[in-house]
Amino acid sequence: MILLTMLARVSDGLPLAASIQENEQYERDLQQYQTQAKQLFRRLNAQSPDRCTLEAGNLNFHYLIAEGVCYLCLCEPSFPKKVAFGYLDDLHSEFFDQYGRRVSTVTRPYAFIEFDNYIQKAKKMYVDGRARRNLGNINTELQDVQRIMVANIEEVLHRGEALSVLDTKASNLSSLAKKYQSDAKYLNTRSTYAKFAAVAVVLLTLIIYVRFWWL
Amino acid sequence: MSTAGFNSQNGTGAGQPYANGPSQNLQQLPGVNYGMAPLQNYNQLQAKAPMGPGLYPPSAPSAPYQSHPPQTHPPVSSYQPLMPRPPLGGGSLPHTPPLSASPVPRMPSAQSTPPPPPVSSSGYYASPHQTPSMGQPWQYNATPTNPPAPMTPPHGQPATNHMPPPMSMVPPTSAYSAPPPTHTATLPPGPALPPTSLHAYNQPGVAPPPVTPMAPHTYQPGRPPYGAPPSGAPPMGPPPPMGHPPSMKPTPPPTGPPMGNATPPPPKADAQWDGVNHIAPPSESEEGDVECPGTVAGNGPQAPNSYNHVENKTSGAAQPGPPGRHLGHYPSLPPGYQSSPPGHTAQPYPLKQQPYQQPGPAQLSPSLAAMSLQSGTPEALRVVNLLQERNLLPPGPLIPPTPCLPQDLQRVNCNPEVFRCTLTSIPQTQSLLNKAKLPLGLLLHPFKDLSQLPVVTSSTIVRCRSCRTYINPFVSFLDQRRWKCNLCYRVNEVPEEFMYNPVSRAYGEPHKRPEVQNATIEFIAPSEYMLRPPQPAVYLFVLDVSHNAVETGYLHVFCQSLLDNLNSLPGDSRTKVGFITFDSTIHFYNLQEGLSQPQMLIVSDIEDIFLPTPDSLLVNLNESKELVQDLLKSLPTLFEKTMETQSALGSALQAAFKLLSPTGGRMSVFQTQLPNLGAGALQSREDPNQRAAAKDVQHLSPATDFYKKLALDCSGQQVAVDLFLLSAQYCDLASLGCISRYSAGSVYYYPSYHQQHNIAQVERFQKDLKRYLTRKIGFEAVMRIRCTKGLSIHTFHGNFFVRSTDLLSLPNVNPDAGFAVQMSIDENLDDLQLVSFQAALLYTSSKGERRIRVHTLCLPVVNSLSDVFAGADVQAISGLLACMAVDRSVTASLSDARDALTNAAIDSLLCYRQSVLTIQQPGLLAPACLRLFPLYVLALHKQKAFRVGTSTRLDDRVFAMCQLKYQPLVYAMLMIHPALYRVDDLTDEGALNINDRTIPQPRVLQLSVEKLCREGAFLMDAGTVMYLWIGRNCNPAFLTQVLGVPSYAAVPENLYLLPELDTAESQRVRAFVGWLKDQRPFAPTLHIIRDESQLKTSFLQNMIEDRTESALSYYEFLLHLQQQISK
Repeated sequence: MILLTMLARVSDGLPLAASIQENEQYERDLQQYQTQAKQLFRRLNAQSPDRCTLEAGNLNFHYLIAEGVCYLCLCEPSFPKKVAFGYLDDLHSEFFDQYGRRVSTVTRPYAFIEFDNYIQKAKKMYVDGRARRNLGNINTELQDVQRIMVANIEEVLHRGEALSVLDTKASNLSSLAKKYQSDAKYLNTRSTYAKFAAVAVVLLTLIIYVRFWWL
Repeated sequence: MSTAGFNSQNGTGAGQPYANGPSQNLQQLPGVNYGMAPLQNYNQLQAKAPMGPGLYPPSAPSAPYQSHPPQTHPPVSSYQPLMPRPPLGGGSLPHTPPLSASPVPRMPSAQSTPPPPPVSSSGYYASPHQTPSMGQPWQYNATPTNPPAPMTPPHGQPATNHMPPPMSMVPPTSAYSAPPPTHTATLPPGPALPPTSLHAYNQPGVAPPPVTPMAPHTYQPGRPPYGAPPSGAPPMGPPPPMGHPPSMKPTPPPTGPPMGNATPPPPKADAQWDGVNHIAPPSESEEGDVECPGTVAGNGPQAPNSYNHVENKTSGAAQPGPPGRHLGHYPSLPPGYQSSPPGHTAQPYPLKQQPYQQPGPAQLSPSLAAMSLQSGTPEALRVVNLLQERNLLPPGPLIPPTPCLPQDLQRVNCNPEVFRCTLTSIPQTQSLLNKAKLPLGLLLHPFKDLSQLPVVTSSTIVRCRSCRTYINPFVSFLDQRRWKCNLCYRVNEVPEEFMYNPVSRAYGEPHKRPEVQNATIEFIAPSEYMLRPPQPAVYLFVLDVSHNAVETGYLHVFCQSLLDNLNSLPGDSRTKVGFITFDSTIHFYNLQEGLSQPQMLIVSDIEDIFLPTPDSLLVNLNESKELVQDLLKSLPTLFEKTMETQSALGSALQAAFKLLSPTGGRMSVFQTQLPNLGAGALQSREDPNQRAAAKDVQHLSPATDFYKKLALDCSGQQVAVDLFLLSAQYCDLASLGCISRYSAGSVYYYPSYHQQHNIAQVERFQKDLKRYLTRKIGFEAVMRIRCTKGLSIHTFHGNFFVRSTDLLSLPNVNPDAGFAVQMSIDENLDDLQLVSFQAALLYTSSKGERRIRVHTLCLPVVNSLSDVFAGADVQAISGLLACMAVDRSVTASLSDARDALTNAAIDSLLCYRQSVLTIQQPGLLAPACLRLFPLYVLALHKQKAFRVGTSTRLDDRVFAMCQLKYQPLVYAMLMIHPALYRVDDLTDEGALNINDRTIPQPRVLQLSVEKLCREGAFLMDAGTVMYLWIGRNCNPAFLTQVLGVPSYAAVPENLYLLPELDTAESQRVRAFVGWLKDQRPFAPTLHIIRDESQLKTSFLQNMIEDRTESALSYYEFLLHLQQQISK
């Protein structure tokens, strides 16, 4: 079962098209999943892995990045990964044919919402078990899905957060180290001064002693 | 206007030169042309030149009616038995001290309930916990202590953010100190008029005069003339000879009361406004003064049939008068009224049309000059004695008052057709507002079709950080980088992107951006404004196919209309359609692509409805177009033989809701009878014998909350329900209408629809359907109205669901929907000079674009009562009062609403007299800007929605109420007060010229039979219907050259079209009628009627200034007001 399909531009996370399958079971959570998907789009960049499966609670996100567009779908865990990526590949080839060149020019969200029509048809085809068997040949052409990275959506969404925490910690550390260094320097100087002062006092006492009592 | 850089964003959207610039929206329908060049186009109607006085013969209408000598009964005696209502007749209304700051309930004499405490007037949305207080005057404000009504937000919430009083940023308004305008509209008296009509008129009995069936014979002789003014009438000159053209008279300085014509130059009024306000000198006298409107003699040789009938009915109706009916004498008729003999020649109520003249400064009497020196009274405050000045109607459409704003602000202010306030000068405090006794509210037409609308695509929409106001022309820029919100006065940063002006392609000019130059603008919303991907356009049609429905034959028209317009349904390649038909069972249609023909699926379990195949009932229109067309072609014949009479509307609606709830969309329900099966079944509640009852009307509120609950469910799932009711019998619109009201749909009602027996309705249905199917539509919309801190909105009128205090949920929004809100002043606006209101409508276009349309209105704040009155917008006030009266009729009673309407007029005029006028003088005095207020109030009394005593079907009444609340003000005003034109003598003088078509502009006449004459042809424009009344002796040239018939007798009985003849007259008339029709979205039907036509009754019922058996004439109403005021 494919519950949600979204397409977005990778460079700025602008949503390009979407299709939502109403499902009473997940109706309430769907809103939340959409928000997660939008957050994910904003996190993605050119360095992100181009095929990835993200576990999000009871459901799985699968996404595919190609030609600057991210194709994302939300499926039940029981839904075969192979089929899901086959579906995303299918969307990609069709979308790139129709709108590929205009992706970089649009500014408003959901500019290619009419692609929804194709998404729905493709979805029906891939979800339907009987039709799926006929698609077997497509699936075999797929690269080894086992090698596709599996991660948790929370991790991905919060990975940036952890990094930034690490970053702050590191910078904290370095600032602390700097402070330690300056403190140490200061202490050093002070002890040096103290030593000099002691020597000077002894010398002075000696001179006075020699000057007044010895003579 | 630099349009060079604009490009369309509606098409493919390929390659715009800049990313965040405005672009002309080409998809808008042509309409009023405004937007980037507001000034040129806003005042389209003002371009109309005032009509010269010589265009029409002075209709001297009373002359022919003098077929019998004036009677000399004492006027009072025959007059009283017809006094209709206790509150009007009874003089025991406790008087409200006009200066008291808190409103005191006004009690009708019939009731003896103690005055309720004046708290908790949530005005109109009385909650069930609140027993609506009878006869309570309207309190236009809600107190914060109000318990929230169930369906409304906790209105009247005080503003919570108490900001320190901001320093005023705005330059002081040049309130009334603007330079005097030029009086270009002043017209010299026209040439003498062809007296032929007058002569023809003076042959009594040759032809029957137009007779008001409502005018009872018994009444006529005793009818007091519009005689001397109540007291202190100015001396009158001798009557001029009969037929004396008005232009021959010396145009005297007005001899009215001293203040009668204080017309110092209005502040900023344009010349046109001057032209509108000319009032005939009151000292006009006329031979035929005995008669007055509505009292046309009934004894014309051919008329008496219908007439006597009415008379009998009237006399019969006098005995079972309603309880509390005041049968005694009109208690304190002003002396002048009581004692003036019928033949009184001093006729201060001029019956002729007067040449317009503007009293120049030289004509001002010394006292007037003193007046003008003293306060510089603006034109709007010129005192008008309503009892003496008759010709109050402007010759053309009434132009809304212009707020007294600095020129540069007014230039960019919102178009009054879109956004209008009842008071164009906002009072400083609530107590000042209470004193003025005028309602404060806004009237909106937010989704109006606009031909030019700046559209901005920008990644960031600049809004105030604290109150979320959109940046607008009335914010102030502190410097280049900071702007101050005009609603909450927070200082905000200007974002970097906003510094670049895409219109001029210059940097560092944030104040020249289109957002800051246009009061009406549209934004393409970024994805933060979407909770879900934009929904496709989804249209579901729910059709009644019971025996009754098939009998009316509406299916043929509907299917044909839809077939014709299938390609122009707004939408894109995602558009979905679906069909459900129902009688006692529900029929679904499987239109899945690939089927050879549509499949009908019948569900007979209406108790627990389910969808047989959820996927293939709503189908993509493009993919299944052929199947849809097949279905539409076969549907009318499919049920031809049905004998099923029951109607399970409720279950059908539930099924439709289930079908639409995943996506949202529009549900169009066609119903022809009372639903009597399954959920939501209704029973007939109308007693036909009570239709004409003079007492209260029952059953105005819904019988069941099934429809309301379902509507709220629909609203939650972004489904709007539009109801088409085609029924001859009672359908309980009061209950059914809830389904549309709370889901932001609309109701269309075609009483007595039948394909053969009622061709006019069929034609109207066809035209309405075309408009309905092809007009713009916005889906999943919300509208928020914000106003400057200190003001608060407490009651909303229209079709919607109020989701939070100021957020209206509109599953669909259409260009023909109007809204009204009531406001109160929570905090003093002492240190403010300007206040602003902003309405923001967020919607998904049929192309799947999320857009925000923002309208901003700016108004000045004033601190004196006279300034408040000077800024009153009488049409907006009447429109808002009508909405309030509808609510009052439903929550309390109809009579209560009627009393409240009367009291609204009394209170405001009383306040004007006592608090604004410095010189007391006799008469019923009103400021010029409110001079039409009593007329409109009377018109509301006689409107279908509020009238009593005249036979009105309950559904008709409820439908009229719906329309008053839902229609934009322009159309509602035509419903309330139709426009009457004489069209047999149209000339090109003063004509408009639009697209090389010359459109003559006849004068708007008063709605009185007196204005009709048998030699003429008159066009009455009542909004949804037009009547062309042909006089019996109509000019043969008109008959042949316009109607194409040789004689009056040859005018066919059922004529709905003007034949296209190749004559100048025909072209003129058709141009004029076509121009009127083009001005509104739903083309009105034109009925061409003769004296004998059945429709004559409804034509004459619109003659508001005339007396009917159950309602006062305009003059009587004025006397009633005056009596109440002078008490």
